[in-house]
Amino acid sequence: MKEMKVIGETELGEGRYVYCVVNNVAKKSLGNIGIERAEVYTVPYKDIAAVVHACQSQPYQSRDANKVMGWILSHNDVVDGATEHFGTVVPFSFDAIVKGGDTTIKDWLREGYEKFKNELERLSQRAEYVVQIFSDQDKLVEKILVEDQALRELKEKIGKMPERAGYLFRRKFELGFNDACNAMRAKLVEEFASQIKEHVEEMEIERKISHLPENYKDKKLIAAFSCLVHKDNVRSLGQALGKISQEGYAVHFTGPWAPFSFVKLEEV
Amino acid sequence: MRPSRQECDINDILQKLLDKGLVLNADLIVSVAGVPLLGVNLKAAIAGIETMLEYGMMEAWDKRTREWYEKEYAKKVAVPLAMDEEIITKAFGSVWSNQGIANTWKPGIWYLTNNRLFLWRKEPGEIIFEAPLDKIEGLTVQKETHFKTERDELYLQFTSGEVGRIYASNIGEFKEAIGNALLASLNRNKDHKNEMR
Repeated sequence: MKEMKVIGETELGEGRYVYCVVNNVAKKSLGNIGIERAEVYTVPYKDIAAVVHACQSQPYQSRDANKVMGWILSHNDVVDGATEHFGTVVPFSFDAIVKGGDTTIKDWLREGYEKFKNELERLSQRAEYVVQIFSDQDKLVEKILVEDQALRELKEKIGKMPERAGYLFRRKFELGFNDACNAMRAKLVEEFASQIKEHVEEMEIERKISHLPENYKDKKLIAAFSCLVHKDNVRSLGQALGKISQEGYAVHFTGPWAPFSFVKLEEV
Repeated sequence: MRPSRQECDINDILQKLLDKGLVLNADLIVSVAGVPLLGVNLKAAIAGIETMLEYGMMEAWDKRTREWYEKEYAKKVAVPLAMDEEIITKAFGSVWSNQGIANTWKPGIWYLTNNRLFLWRKEPGEIIFEAPLDKIEGLTVQKETHFKTERDELYLQFTSGEVGRIYASNIGEFKEAIGNALLASLNRNKDHKNEMR
């Protein structure tokens, strides 16, 4: 048997978990509100500060979904708390950890100062809102059939056929319907976007929603937007969405959130 | 209508915190584990970053971040090596396993050393698959369909007649590295035999 050697012992150093960057001058503790009750505090440089907690330089990872969920909620709570406390925040993604201590954070803020400052300025008085618009499957079918004569005729034809003979036609209908459905969705996204646009500063059309709200599970998602909204326009956006809702769509409208989708430093 | 913020908006929170928000520069980061979690359920997401790399969920990461990650995490893996064993190269990848009930791809990190090829899983720290170089006699790259997209996979022909099917993130280079290691090992063995005479 050959003798074994072990390479690369794990070496953990100091780290700082970053929640967000805010406008603030002094070093200040926000209390034990962080992930796993860590003490959250600010590390200031000039008139901005990073909201952090001290941790080891390794990511928070667990196979326990509830635990991870708890961490994510804590992260969100801290960002919300910071928003309440400091106004505008530049939020970070979950599990962004800087290797090093407060000095490293300060150096990092110094380097990115202009960028952070501009971003805090641009995002001030603004928050992110989630808008998702759903339709009942039946209503969608109805709407598509009204507009698509070929499909309508196909459906009528199938209706008159015996169960078995209709298989190929049903398949043809399904395929045609899927195409029509995609086209209809694309059209509706455009329509909704134009109704919302004037009330928002910026808007992102979400192509993919990884986590859909529970209470809309039986409906079809038609359009999803992330919107950066000035605080004076939240009301009018709500009214525009109210109109869409009156047209028979289910509208999921949440916020204010920290502007996660609109921070544009790419890498800092 | 008015915007709401309730417990049931947990899905909005997940979407934002895992998919959005700033990530750190590669020189500073310890982790940007949040980035690639989009599109996976939470359970799969927390299976570990290596697993996600294997399934191509880290495409959002730029090359620099990936390189950093590979460097950083290789350090933390305590890989069992023999005294005279040197690592030639390593790559994220997987091996096709048809032992047991289900046929699956088992992900891990490939290590190619001067003696063998093995797939290492950091947690719980085990060798999933291993082959001494002198038991490999042929290498072929073939196109296969994986989750509806085509990718190159590497087939290993063993002296025993068995065939192994593996995947690695940079399969072309990886094949070349194995090929070179095989040649080197072959020459070494020849020298060794000559010495014995």
